[in-house]
Amino acid sequence: MVLDQRSAGDRWKKRRDGIGKVTGELKYLTDMSFPNMLYGTVLRSEHPFAKILSIDTEEAEKLPGVETVITHKDVPGLNGFGIVIPDQPVLCEDVVRYVGDAIAAVAASSKEIAEHAASLIKVEYAPMAPITDPEDALLEDAVKLHEAGNILHEAHFKKGEDVEQAFSKCDYIVEDTYYTPRQMHAYMETEGGVALPEADGSITLYAPTQHGFKDQMQLARILNIKAEKIRVVSSPIGGSFGGKDELNIQPYVSLLAVKTGRPVKIHQSRRTSIKAGIKRHPMKITMKTGADKNGKIIAHQVKIIADTGSYATLGPAVLDFSVEHSTGPYRMEHVCVDGYSIFTNNGVSGEFRGFGGNQITVALELQIEKLAEKMKISATELRWKNLRSTNDPGPVDQVIVPTTGASDVLSKILESPILQPKARQTDDWKIIGTGYSITMHGGGLGFGRSDPSGARLSLNKQGKLEISFGFEECGQGLIPSIEMIMTEQLHCAPEDIDIVIGDTAKVPHSGSSTASRATNMVWQGIRRLKDPLTEKVLSQAAAVTNIPKDMLKMGSGGIWCENHGGREFVLSFKELAASFDELPVVSAEYHFPTTPNAIDGGHFLYTFAGVAAEVEIDLLTGRVAVTKLDHVISAGPVVNPMGYLGQIEGGASMGLGFALFEDAAMKNGRYMTENLDTYLIPTIADIPKETKVTAIEQLVEGDNYGPRGVGEIGTVAVAPAIVTAIHQATGHWINKLPISTEEMLDIVSKRLFQA
Amino acid sequence: MGNKTAAHTIHVKINGAATTLNVPPTYRLVDILRNELNLTGTKISCEVGRCGACSVIMNGKLVNSCLIMAYQIDGADIQTIESVSSDALHPIQEAFLEGGALQCGYCTPGMIMALKTLVEEKNKPSKEEVLKALSGNLCRCTGYEGILRAIDLLEEKEE
Repeated sequence: MVLDQRSAGDRWKKRRDGIGKVTGELKYLTDMSFPNMLYGTVLRSEHPFAKILSIDTEEAEKLPGVETVITHKDVPGLNGFGIVIPDQPVLCEDVVRYVGDAIAAVAASSKEIAEHAASLIKVEYAPMAPITDPEDALLEDAVKLHEAGNILHEAHFKKGEDVEQAFSKCDYIVEDTYYTPRQMHAYMETEGGVALPEADGSITLYAPTQHGFKDQMQLARILNIKAEKIRVVSSPIGGSFGGKDELNIQPYVSLLAVKTGRPVKIHQSRRTSIKAGIKRHPMKITMKTGADKNGKIIAHQVKIIADTGSYATLGPAVLDFSVEHSTGPYRMEHVCVDGYSIFTNNGVSGEFRGFGGNQITVALELQIEKLAEKMKISATELRWKNLRSTNDPGPVDQVIVPTTGASDVLSKILESPILQPKARQTDDWKIIGTGYSITMHGGGLGFGRSDPSGARLSLNKQGKLEISFGFEECGQGLIPSIEMIMTEQLHCAPEDIDIVIGDTAKVPHSGSSTASRATNMVWQGIRRLKDPLTEKVLSQAAAVTNIPKDMLKMGSGGIWCENHGGREFVLSFKELAASFDELPVVSAEYHFPTTPNAIDGGHFLYTFAGVAAEVEIDLLTGRVAVTKLDHVISAGPVVNPMGYLGQIEGGASMGLGFALFEDAAMKNGRYMTENLDTYLIPTIADIPKETKVTAIEQLVEGDNYGPRGVGEIGTVAVAPAIVTAIHQATGHWINKLPISTEEMLDIVSKRLFQA
Repeated sequence: MGNKTAAHTIHVKINGAATTLNVPPTYRLVDILRNELNLTGTKISCEVGRCGACSVIMNGKLVNSCLIMAYQIDGADIQTIESVSSDALHPIQEAFLEGGALQCGYCTPGMIMALKTLVEEKNKPSKEEVLKALSGNLCRCTGYEGILRAIDLLEEKEE
């Protein structure tokens, strides 16, 4: 089904949170202010790597309007944060490891005074030579950035016999090294929020995050108070894409609020956001792939070097994901993957939409293309020869849900008009190329990672069906998706529903809004809760109305009686709610479906994508424009057509930026870009003239796992499709992203010169 | 706002209402709107005039309010997103909702102000004019496809 407003019909719904967004009435958490509020700022390091010899805050403290200045001495609990490994100091004591490291924080009566005060803090450093290349970090004489050394994490996967031996049996071998950029999330709302201290020592924090309870847990460690005393209000969020999963300003506003006893707000500037915030891991991936004379891939060797920067955050899990997806949707007999996530003094790399899948898919899909080229067969033929089939194990040989996703997306993307042979005219100084790629992408956190979820459904005293999850609205459309699942499962009207999310005081533990997991978890939760709640509601309705329960149904506005083929409204939800002594509440706890095989991070549910791209290359400037993109997505039933389409379109634009121009380049441990005027994300003038999204909804019979999330899949296979299209136009393979205009110009100049 | 020692008196019309402000002459319009007047529909994102999240209409022209200082608005007529739907939703806002032109919504007020300026200047802008007019407004969520759908819906309705 081509996904658009027409095909969606009456399932094309306006977002219920949309009016506040188009009118500007919605208060984002960074829009909030409170009486008596102070403004905070954080002093970040001047050096990528240095010893701190002394910190003198005296002059800053004396500045009129300054309420407090805090340093490491003022952290009552653990002076560290990190979702899995809390190795990043909240406030550095003796060493700074990157330019975003925090040293002190100030609260003052205005932002201007706070910033002036921060500039008066005297920090004496003994700068050291930063490690800026992960391979230098592995040298024997390299300085250890952390006690355990410079390797944050290693991940390996081996299958079959010795891979070197397997290569000796290959008739065709291709090997190349691929480089991917330090992509920035570039959410439009930078990090920020307000912390409010309460008289009893508890605090309320208003700050966007992808997992309120995780922030609560981390802040409890830092503040050394019980988690129950910290309330985290975490939605709405002005974009996140993984970038607000880890803590950012929360520790500072909380510490400052506790210390001053007043509300404290920080809203980071874009410059600080770029300096301090996490990015996508730049990876160097060397891949060697070999096939026998029939085109069967028998050997595949992969080495991944990921620059994880100075602290852990979710670096280990990102690497595990890349290692897992090294063979993608292909069957390969002998495989050896070695992955290393290495500490450097560069900016922190971490969680970002696609989660290591984007990088590895570039390498894998280009290897497939090059191997086919070497064999003088089409890449399509090579893909079909090696593509996984329905009951094959997953990419790390684990049990997964049987799926036809790989063949579905491959056959469908090949029908794309972009890929049909034709002669399209363009300007004399432009050339056109087309290409495609496919991928598979795991959902959920994977084996061995606690991945539980919870849901609560009740009839509240306002007479609303109140559904509650610990998920966040980052813009992805969680709220409209919850509404659609509710109305379709409980047959009620949108007006009958109250949705409660994003507040630890009000919601159950549902886990993070990451890893394309929330849609599936919402669907599973509501499916579990609808029968028990319906039972309670209808029993009460029967008692109130004296109508037999089996004639009553829930419907729009309340309870309906069905008899003789007719339907009559008997009781509103509000009337029903008033009749209860104790209002009905049901809750459920469940887990994201996981593979039974003990493979760390191995997934069970996968989504699939095929992307076809048409590019136009300007022979005079070397500029590449992506003129058309077609996407085929296999992710189970479409819950919310507008949301699904938006995720694929938005993900595609991010993939386009990753391929063409996004790179938060660093030199000597310092960012070469400070803002959105030099870090370029796609504008409305950069997107394709035509985009089409096709959703394949069908699942294998007996697959009752429902809709998969599509938050990530739309971004994964875009870059290799673009690179393949450039190759078709120029005969040149690009191995380093983003594509450099100089490299393109060089290629096309040679072509012009030869002509 | 903190230091008002150097404040100047500025007379300005904001969303139709005559307003007197007492702010330093170099205080930014975006701060005046958000901090002094609590008009937080105007967003703040890059602060260098690149992203358009803070777009407002000043004397009929689209401006980035992060680049306008208090002294420049003396006597000016400024419209913010809050003025667009005083009675009912503006057709642009309706089209945004129907087309799926927003996700996180943080760029949306600026995007709507930019589009409103364009359609008020040109009755039926061409596709190229639309792309040019909105190229100063960044959106990271939608890939702009939903925004283009909204513009198509807007045109259909006008026909």
